[in-house]
Amino acid sequence: MFDRSDNGVMAREPRFEEIMCGLLQSGKVPRAMVSETREAVALARRFSDEVVRPHSLELDRRMQEDPTYIPWDFARDANRWGFYTMWLPRFLGGKGMSLPTMGPFFEELCACDSTLGLLTAGQYFGFSILLASWNLRIIQRIVRDVIEGERTGEPCILAGAVTEPQAGTDVEEMELLSRAKVNCHARKVKGGYLVNGTKIFISLAQMATWTMLIAYEDLHRPEETVVMLAVKKGTKGFSLGRMENKMGQKACPVGELIFEDCFIPDEDVCYSSEQVRHLRRGPKESAMQLIDFVVSNTRPGVGAAATGVARGAYEQALRFACETEVDGKLLVNHEWAQCLLAEMYKNVALARMTYMEGTYVNGLYGITRLLSIKPVYYLDKVIPESTPRWIAGLLDSDSATRWTRKFLLDGQTDEQIARTSGWASLSKFAASDLALDTCEKAIELMGHAGTRHEYRVEKHLRDIKVMQIFEGTNQLNRLNLFKCMIARSTQEALIFSD
Amino acid sequence: MQATVSEDLELIGRTCREFADRELVEGREERDRYPFGPPFERTLEKAFEVGLFSIMLPEEAGGSPDPVGTLCVILDEICRVDASLGGIVFTVALAQELIHQAGEPKAIKERTSSGGGCEQLLTAFPSFTDRCEIERSTALRAVGANGDHRLEGLAEYVVLGGMARRALLPARIDGGDGWSLFMVDAGGDAVRAGKPVLSLGMHACPAVDLELAGAPGRLIGEAGRGAGYLEAAADRLFVAIGAMASGVMKGSFDTAFDYAKERVQGGREIVGWSEVKMLLADMALKVKLADMLVGEAARAVDRGAGGWTLASRAAGVCVPEMARDVTSNGVQLLGGNGFMKDYGQEKRFRDARQLQTLLGSSAMNRLAYIEKVVGGEPAC
Repeated sequence: MFDRSDNGVMAREPRFEEIMCGLLQSGKVPRAMVSETREAVALARRFSDEVVRPHSLELDRRMQEDPTYIPWDFARDANRWGFYTMWLPRFLGGKGMSLPTMGPFFEELCACDSTLGLLTAGQYFGFSILLASWNLRIIQRIVRDVIEGERTGEPCILAGAVTEPQAGTDVEEMELLSRAKVNCHARKVKGGYLVNGTKIFISLAQMATWTMLIAYEDLHRPEETVVMLAVKKGTKGFSLGRMENKMGQKACPVGELIFEDCFIPDEDVCYSSEQVRHLRRGPKESAMQLIDFVVSNTRPGVGAAATGVARGAYEQALRFACETEVDGKLLVNHEWAQCLLAEMYKNVALARMTYMEGTYVNGLYGITRLLSIKPVYYLDKVIPESTPRWIAGLLDSDSATRWTRKFLLDGQTDEQIARTSGWASLSKFAASDLALDTCEKAIELMGHAGTRHEYRVEKHLRDIKVMQIFEGTNQLNRLNLFKCMIARSTQEALIFSD
Repeated sequence: MQATVSEDLELIGRTCREFADRELVEGREERDRYPFGPPFERTLEKAFEVGLFSIMLPEEAGGSPDPVGTLCVILDEICRVDASLGGIVFTVALAQELIHQAGEPKAIKERTSSGGGCEQLLTAFPSFTDRCEIERSTALRAVGANGDHRLEGLAEYVVLGGMARRALLPARIDGGDGWSLFMVDAGGDAVRAGKPVLSLGMHACPAVDLELAGAPGRLIGEAGRGAGYLEAAADRLFVAIGAMASGVMKGSFDTAFDYAKERVQGGREIVGWSEVKMLLADMALKVKLADMLVGEAARAVDRGAGGWTLASRAAGVCVPEMARDVTSNGVQLLGGNGFMKDYGQEKRFRDARQLQTLLGSSAMNRLAYIEKVVGGEPAC
């Protein structure tokens, strides 16, 4: 039995709270979450069968022929199926599907086509950035636009803009940001900010109605002067630059954003160091917390997408092995092929475990903590989809944003930030590495058939590589894991001081 | 340049590198758009003029005294810039070697003595296929006897199939054992080329599925002995796949190294960060190992040194596996830029995996290797 004197041993590394997150969260998960997750998976399978699979290869081929094509038809389908509001809380007017169900949903779509998966769920990258600002007034306003887009049939897509031409890895980590060559400058002027600079590699750039832009008030002290601005398509001084021609993820457009004396009014400022002065952390730590909030949610998302890609490659390889004869018997009946398929299955299962664990950690300590509390969870399920007026009024007030930030940001301990961020990094780099390995194994098994477009495996391979790169390279994520999970108990360790 | 090559081969390598830099760098991305862009026929003519398609010919017909070593040096230099042309050179060399193994010098002489350009030497062949795949496939059958055969069925993934005048195709003669090789007029009425195959990499090394409906085929070598010819040719040319992979690795490393010296993150060039150095070190070590392995194996093949067949196959299986890792890191070191078309790294990533399936899947080739050892060839 547990003895109080065991507290001493339990304070040792690795911490129980860090290695048993799934177990700790299991008692807190509302029962309805199981049926909700099942519903999300079933929905993804139906969408894959009816929309994704029939168009996926044709669309990829078309994109190879014309890399500038924008797949609006698919986005309209996703919009019609309700995916762009599916995970927005009901009290904001969304469909209120719980965020933890997004991973399994995403895995399902990506097992068929991760590009179209990103086109469907990539919307929530922009939403995650917006949400991490906890600026309830703007969140509510933009969510209303998304809901209106669903009603009219013209999707209102959200994007996030962080990466710059000379700062990729640097913008993901405050220690590096302080030495970075950033260029996206937001100068405070009367009534708002004047933005100049460029952002690159922005997913959904050409399709987004709203872009959550990270900029800096002082380019010499970017880590202390982070601002987040909501920029609407068509704003004067905001234009699109070149559209990238990529190896994979072809149907998910990625482009450059150019800001030339672009004025963003105060009402569209989601976050600034001025806005969070009342919080206990300083501007640099608050900005890092914001980034950690975002990546703690989106990196397990990449883990889920990578799991899907791995599964897609594995399933194609299995099908091939069941149809192909070698030396007089089916490939699937050769022991070596069975072992190879077992390795692939293992990769998929391990990748899935990492993103699910990342999801549990977020429920315990991170971005979904509030919505995972049972009364809040069930309350959000019974609220009517159209936001009651009193809730809308409440959210519009400055004090609601102020106190939500106080509760969620100040309420999160440094240890909790480290756990969510560390697990998110682990999921991101482990799952994407496992998925690339699975695609390689599929080609090893299938030979040149695996390189033919119609078998999908080569597409999975082209699509997966970027998952080792975006949301921070896997190298940066390894360093982040070291920082979050290892360095704190290792006094000798210095971070980013190579 | 491979560490162990002779002065003659070094000279050939230098010439080839100049050719590659002059003819292949510019327009590489455009050529890679094939089949959505034009094939690179003009470059093929130039490759023909510098002798890239006559390496495996008999010496008296313009071939090299060290054909495999020469082929490896050339493929290494070409694939450093563009593996697609490497795939074409390899396929032509493989077809020539098969004809040579089948003891059909006449078939080669006919083509070299009749003048003409590049098209005289281009022969289509399903060079991504292995023995097992041909054996299990009953898709292509030859009907008839005594030199008068008609071929029917489907030949998959025939490299140069829609481009070369002739295709060397494996087919099973009705009622006979094993399979045989046939030379077919690829432009004939009874041959229909499908759409160009859209593949992972080496896009400008075109392949198609050919549908034959009673196409006349001339038997090459003896009936039913195709598998033996292919095994013998593969023994000699596996090392050439290693040379291609070695070239792709060098291109990937050079680009990544140059980028790492220029790109600044965290306040300094990324080459200064030790994790980046580790990635570069891993690439550089594999590049060096590949170079030595290919050079040594190619020399063993040309000299007929003891154990040359396993040396050739080991290079052909292991070097492409190294190239897989190297080209992945080659993309990784460039971050998002590596994933885009601008730096050529994503193409090398794809090409490395494509060429790994030449002469069959890596799994089947591993099994074939150990079968040779089980069959008595000394493993070490």
